[in-house]
Amino acid sequence: MSQYQGREWHLDCPLTGEDIDQLNVGDLVYLSGPVFTARDGVYKHMLVEGHAPPIDLLALTNVTFQSAPAGVEVSPGKYHVSSLQATAGFRYAQYMPQLLEEFGVKVVVGKAGMSEEVYRDVFQKHGAVCLTTMGYGLGAIYGSAIKDVLGVYWVEELGISEALWILELERLGPLLVEGDVRGNSFFAGANEEINRNLGSLYEGLKPPVYGRLGEEHKPEIELF
Amino acid sequence: MVSASTGISQELLYQVGYEVNKRAAIVVPQDGLTAFGNAWERESKPLAHFILGKILENAKLAVADARPMCGDTGLPRYYVKVGNEARIDGGFVALERSLRRAVADVTQDIQLRANRVHPLTRKNPGNNLGVFAPNIDYSFEPDGDWIDIIAVHKGGLFGTDYRMLFPADGTDGIKRFLLDNMAEFARRGLSCPPVVVGVGLGGTKDQAVSLSKEAACLRLIGNRHPDPDVAVLEEELRELANKTGFGVMGVGGDTTALDVHIEIAYTHTGGMPIAISQFCTAYRRAVARIHADGEVEFREDPLWFTDYYRREGID
Repeated sequence: MSQYQGREWHLDCPLTGEDIDQLNVGDLVYLSGPVFTARDGVYKHMLVEGHAPPIDLLALTNVTFQSAPAGVEVSPGKYHVSSLQATAGFRYAQYMPQLLEEFGVKVVVGKAGMSEEVYRDVFQKHGAVCLTTMGYGLGAIYGSAIKDVLGVYWVEELGISEALWILELERLGPLLVEGDVRGNSFFAGANEEINRNLGSLYEGLKPPVYGRLGEEHKPEIELF
Repeated sequence: MVSASTGISQELLYQVGYEVNKRAAIVVPQDGLTAFGNAWERESKPLAHFILGKILENAKLAVADARPMCGDTGLPRYYVKVGNEARIDGGFVALERSLRRAVADVTQDIQLRANRVHPLTRKNPGNNLGVFAPNIDYSFEPDGDWIDIIAVHKGGLFGTDYRMLFPADGTDGIKRFLLDNMAEFARRGLSCPPVVVGVGLGGTKDQAVSLSKEAACLRLIGNRHPDPDVAVLEEELRELANKTGFGVMGVGGDTTALDVHIEIAYTHTGGMPIAISQFCTAYRRAVARIHADGEVEFREDPLWFTDYYRREGID
């Protein structure tokens, strides 16, 4: 078994333009410094309904996690995180133009990324990249890299699992570069290779006698 | 703790319900560790090999730090098997209260994510409780005077599907449905492969779905169905799932399914309902038996699918 050849970067948040430009799909990244979390609740509250964030996000960082950590309020106003994993990012593609435009976000850390079109149309224009968490079960590794919870906001409005968390990271990784500033997607490449073989597995298997509405049998496509 | 007249106490049920819930969040069961280790050794793709190594490292760190092994701590749920002679002080209502209290307390103490919300208003009570939450499912066993409490924490978004197939579709239909399920959910690793695939075949439609979940979560990796025809199909489907090449996280690799477990149920003569559930890389389960004398025994094998549970006739 040969070693994985992806380059490894250790970067401080907020990232510089130079940090971001040098990232290529398939690289591994470790992040230190402040980040903010946002998923369904924050996107709706902040972007759709227009509530101003309770702190100046732009001044703090340009890195966001599509996540809410596993963590609780251990004493009034004091929070602790045990474990962290991002959630599937494709469903937030619609929010990316506004998030990148208005909040200066340059690094979106999610799970599994978005389509290459979103990288080309939105990320590339803003010099932004999309990273993905790895293993999709490295919660303890990621959780142990959270050095401090700097604040948790909108708990009343959104609930603890959708709140806006500000986290201080220390070498949180590995994260995989899924979308780079040149508009490439790691998974687009991986899917191309997988799809070369996928169709042949259906050969000789007769189609179902009763179909389903909307059924168009193209197992090689993405469904978002 | 236990008296002959009253049975297993509510407090003991709470303690065991708490402990299995906590262990499920933190400790990857041994069959999972072995399977991930084997996948890591076999893996021919460098990135997939690297990721599988990290998954093993993560499992160790979770135990060392006593922190949840995945940041999405899933939806805590219980499967309870009750020996026919078991007695509970306060009855089943006491059992359910104990398990609900355990979920709320583990959520706070182990710092699970409070994932359970109202489906429309998205209101979050913050303790993983709510209407019909946590799920508690029961089965029974003749003769025993014990209670088995099994905790499972399962991710909730991707990997499950249902379809009504017909007898004419045969195993071709089953294989296509499996391939479709992998293509829909293992791509980009949305369902977090490598997974244990559970197939619920037959029964009523709702039985197919719940059996697929039980098949995924409540049999050890490597376990085969006692019906030889079903066991052969399990092997064939596992091979087929792995031929897709999605691999860990969907990056491309040799192991997409650690195993495939099929549970069959007798079904309507005209149909062949099928459901698939995928139990993700966050392979989380813990099992304990409370004996009538109050002794508690933790073990790896859920022993959920007993001959009695799968019985065909009256007895």
